[in-house]
Amino acid sequence: MNVSRANRVQLVLVMGLLVLLHFYLRPRLGSARVSPDFLLIALVFFAMRSGPGAGALAGFVVGIVNDALTPAAFGAGALAHTVVGYLAAWGRAVFFADNLLVNAAFVAVALWVRDLILLLASGTGQGSLLVELTLNSPLQALSTAGFALVVLAAFREWFAIRLDT
Amino acid sequence: MASTSERSFTRRDTVTFLACVGLSVVALFSPERWGQGVSDALRNSVLAPLVWLQARAEEGRTSRARLKAITIQRDSAAYLAQGVPSLMAENERLRGLLSLSRRVSSPYVAAEVMHQAQATDGRTLLIDVGRDDLVSEFDPVVAPEGLIGMVLTAGRHSSVVMTWAHPEFRVAAYTVSGNASGVAAPSLSGLAGEGALEFRGVPYRDSVPAGTLVLSSGLGGVYPKGIPVGTVTGVVREQAGWERVYRLLPAANPGAVAHVMVLVSPPGASMERAFPSDSALQAMRLDSIAKVRQADSIATARAEAAKAAAAAKAAAAAKAAAAAKAAAARATPRPAPPPPVAAPPTPAAGDSAR
Repeated sequence: MNVSRANRVQLVLVMGLLVLLHFYLRPRLGSARVSPDFLLIALVFFAMRSGPGAGALAGFVVGIVNDALTPAAFGAGALAHTVVGYLAAWGRAVFFADNLLVNAAFVAVALWVRDLILLLASGTGQGSLLVELTLNSPLQALSTAGFALVVLAAFREWFAIRLDT
Repeated sequence: MASTSERSFTRRDTVTFLACVGLSVVALFSPERWGQGVSDALRNSVLAPLVWLQARAEEGRTSRARLKAITIQRDSAAYLAQGVPSLMAENERLRGLLSLSRRVSSPYVAAEVMHQAQATDGRTLLIDVGRDDLVSEFDPVVAPEGLIGMVLTAGRHSSVVMTWAHPEFRVAAYTVSGNASGVAAPSLSGLAGEGALEFRGVPYRDSVPAGTLVLSSGLGGVYPKGIPVGTVTGVVREQAGWERVYRLLPAANPGAVAHVMVLVSPPGASMERAFPSDSALQAMRLDSIAKVRQADSIATARAEAAKAAAAAKAAAAAKAAAAAKAAAARATPRPAPPPPVAAPPTPAAGDSAR
């Protein structure tokens, strides 16, 4: 097995683990609006290890999954995650994100931007928009970034951000 | 300068990105039915294992809480079991009043709510029951506190619930006192009104004081009559001479609810007995206390009456016995009086005169 294939298998394993955590662990963690969004972590990590196109496509898929499970405004989640996936891939190129904290910050910002686009696209009222963006989203961004740090630390060997050196 | 391969890679990325954005926008502006159809298809096929997994996780979480609640109830019951029997009966009645599942006489399906991590969670909820559990579109969804919403789409094993926070939610409602009726809808009137409901279309002449409970009226055929919708907290706006709009504090919070009940009863059924208002609860409680007291007094009266009857019977028996004795005594012949003793001869009167 060559290095790139091994990396791909490791990536798939971590993504699978995050998906499992999202659907099996997160419901047990209490408030859904504050508990970590494992799917977003998977998306951001995948996008940062792939190109912008793959990131956008992965974001679209994750967004459709979210829309199917929370169909408040079908398509809003897909749009938000597509943009986040694309920007995460570009952001890695711009910010040279090899630092753990920078990666965690990426996740936090990505979650906040996702919520911003999602709320705007789904036609949320001004009051809810403010409450979500200033209270719930930052809290969830913090918890998600914290868990992203744990994932990165646990799979540091597998999950080195800079792969193509 | 970028190489040809790098340029094509960038172009391909851009094209992929724009295609995904385009598809998302098409999905966003497509008719709602299409989106629901795609969502249903995804949930029933590709996402079915993930939905199942999440439903088990939700069950695991809520079952711990329920076990704790049941343990507390059992301990309370054990403690109260040491009390007076009438208090135990009263406790049982109140327990029956407070337990919604016992209150609802019409058929229902209990469901776990699977909250999502998205900011729009709360407008729609995903629940773990579907058509296989006899759930169908437009079935009302309630929590013990009051109305949550209605089933928007029903899949085989899961359904989407439109909650009262959804912009398109409407329910015909009336005040518990019955003096005003209108339509309850989510408030979209700015920061202060977010997360609240509005009670619209109330005639200007009808004044509703703060604290009044508002119930579903049953008009429209979706929501049964009598489910609490919210409590009036104040006037939002008014159009002089025509209508007043009141702000309602919703009875149930969809964002925090863990399990709900889907009412699968036929439309038109009344839920007034299942959701008694505070005054009705008080009245029912007083009524039950009165019934206990009445039952106690009836039992006491019966005992007293039985005692009196027994005493009367004993007295009558004694009287009868005495009468019989007297009669028997009268029927026996009297003995002949003893013969008079012969008196000694007395001197004649002439003699004594002599």
